[in-house]
Amino acid sequence: MAVPDSVAASRPTTTSPKTPAATTNRRRPDAAYWLYLLPGALLFLLVIGGPLVYTGYLSLTRWSGVGEPSFIGLENYRTLLTDDVFWTSFRNTVAMIVAMVVVPTLVGLVLAAVLFDTIGRRFRPRTAAALRAAFYLPQVLPVVVAGIVWGWILRPDGALNGLLDAIGLGALSHDWLGDPGTALPVVMAVMIWVQIGYPVVVFMAALERVNPELYEAAEIDGAGWWRRFRAITLAQIRPETFVVGLTCTIAAMKVFGPIYALTRGGPENATNVPSYFAYFTFFKRLNVGYGSAISMVLTLIIVVVAVLFIRAQNRAERRDGAL
Amino acid sequence: MRRFRRVAVVAMVAALTATGLAACGDGDDSGDANVLKLWHYESANSAMGIAWDRAIEIFKEEHEGVEVRFERKAFEQIQQNAGMIINSSEGPDIMEYNKGNATSGLLSSQGLLTDLTEEATKRGWDTALSPSLQTTARYDNGVMGSGNWYGVPNYGEYVMVYYNKELFAEHGVRVPTTLAEFTSAMDTFVAKGVTPLGMAGAEYPAGQLFYQLALSRADRSFVNDYQLYANPVDFKADPVRYGAETFAEWVGKGYLAKDSASLKAEDMGTAFISGKTPMIVSGSWWYGRFKSEITFDWDSFLFPGNTLHAGSSGNLWVVPETSKAKNLAYDFIDITLRPEIQALIGNNGGVPVSGDPATISDAKDRRLIENFNAISSQDGLAFYPDWPVPGYYDVLVSGFQSLINQSKTPDQVLDAIAKPYQDGVAEIKRD
Repeated sequence: MAVPDSVAASRPTTTSPKTPAATTNRRRPDAAYWLYLLPGALLFLLVIGGPLVYTGYLSLTRWSGVGEPSFIGLENYRTLLTDDVFWTSFRNTVAMIVAMVVVPTLVGLVLAAVLFDTIGRRFRPRTAAALRAAFYLPQVLPVVVAGIVWGWILRPDGALNGLLDAIGLGALSHDWLGDPGTALPVVMAVMIWVQIGYPVVVFMAALERVNPELYEAAEIDGAGWWRRFRAITLAQIRPETFVVGLTCTIAAMKVFGPIYALTRGGPENATNVPSYFAYFTFFKRLNVGYGSAISMVLTLIIVVVAVLFIRAQNRAERRDGAL
Repeated sequence: MRRFRRVAVVAMVAALTATGLAACGDGDDSGDANVLKLWHYESANSAMGIAWDRAIEIFKEEHEGVEVRFERKAFEQIQQNAGMIINSSEGPDIMEYNKGNATSGLLSSQGLLTDLTEEATKRGWDTALSPSLQTTARYDNGVMGSGNWYGVPNYGEYVMVYYNKELFAEHGVRVPTTLAEFTSAMDTFVAKGVTPLGMAGAEYPAGQLFYQLALSRADRSFVNDYQLYANPVDFKADPVRYGAETFAEWVGKGYLAKDSASLKAEDMGTAFISGKTPMIVSGSWWYGRFKSEITFDWDSFLFPGNTLHAGSSGNLWVVPETSKAKNLAYDFIDITLRPEIQALIGNNGGVPVSGDPATISDAKDRRLIENFNAISSQDGLAFYPDWPVPGYYDVLVSGFQSLINQSKTPDQVLDAIAKPYQDGVAEIKRD
């Protein structure tokens, strides 16, 4: 029986006693690796490291974007603590995480399992592939285009209200994106639509590497779909679940394009998110120092979340390896 | 840090100009001033785009051997990057740039724009443009209204009421001349199930309607207080309070649609173009488009009863301090103020600033310009409500969306728009 890559990768490798020759052989490639890393490291410094440090410096200044910044220490960060819009934007980030991570991951898991385990086996595999492509389609569309199209659909005289009218539910017609009560849930729904295809594709790819004998054996033993899903699917694709969780959480925390295209953070900041708030402060209010402080806090939170995710993943892999 | 900023500026400018400059070759324009680098963001078929194309032709005819390197930019490109662009040696010699404290004022206060005062006097720009129009051209330590010249406008704009003559006739409504007649006309439409006033809460129209209403109770000293910070503005008193309360009242009475909070200005304009809306309160920037796209009978009238109107000069020609061809830039500005170019603006649906209405062939176009000249000559241009502080546009949008949705009272909205104004003014005064 083939061993899944993730399990193989987590097993401790057998070490052989080191000989002087082996040590010499290992040192030479190590030195060469550093050379290969150099272009990447330089690019990192130029494209990420330098701007990050400079943004950090700007966050300690008052600056309108021209002239010389004036150093004001931590004042921007102190202001952030009492800025209602800043806290609203982070509350909305939680909503974005629900819409872009929690719901798509859960629904994506079920959809991938149904497509792979049921549709793929009972119908032709091409049917499952076509459905997978259909789910993935919103990911292919440029997010701003998708935002504009959804904006048309959700307008007061748009397709959604037209549909409600047509089926006799005209009383439910609404300015979906203009009402602070409905704008955020509607944006969340659009983001679920955008995101759902990503976990479906990743999870289906993960299921391809699961040994089918596991399913067959479970089926022979009388396990139903739900039992197979819990005992085999969930357990086997855990590494991919971490990857989807991490990448989608980062995407949710720095989401900008859909908000820009759909609502520009409105109405009344109901859909404002940190990255849009930073952009608005930076470019519209010309308060570059404050915008930089928002960006730095956002960056810090993303890094912390990423580290926590990776640690959790490593812990889970070690636990699996120990079993 | 300074070095890094220079690298960032060069990278930004390179990205912005990559396509344009690639086509221009590698000519060196340092010192000998045989190249004029000109950037603006008007579309080719707009009144200004047409007029400036002709101005470039005239400039070339009159400056043999001088190459004009023209690049059409996006409005947002210039708005967001102007500071960095003209702080570098890669910027243009002359550029169209936004008027106002947060844009031209800010750059002038940092020494990035050339002081045009001497040229304005020498070339007569100071007499060609009315004092009202000079407000946006002159800045004192970054605040518009007085001081040296840092830009030159050559077109104007103002807010008016556009109306569908056919719908007016169909519902027996006469063109109003007072605010009372205006509301009475709207009552007639409402009674017949027609929402009389187009609106777009997600962009500028709501703020401009609020400002027009406030201006109906305002005088010049209010405008100076609000726009030029002459005195503190009390948002809980008239005319601001009147503007917000009347706006809310109009929503309540159905003069404007309660479900228009998410609509954009384009939606409002296209609804009027398609004949769905009897009236919209908006600017002369729609005029040329309406002229070419509307198939029914339409016209415009000034906001009834007002002596002050939202409006100003158009955007400015500015000459960056780093320009290597300043004299050529001044010559170009001069050409754009000539009667021929001004008439071209007027005959294509724009509002020239020093045009003679007699040279405008179409009667409707002529009235557009005569109205502007009347407002301008009686010091009636009150600028725009979002001008005073950077970022105030979005504050007003958010505030008036709440009134359209009826999710906040006028009092709450006044609180919401007062604080950013006061904070912004304090910030500007601190600078």
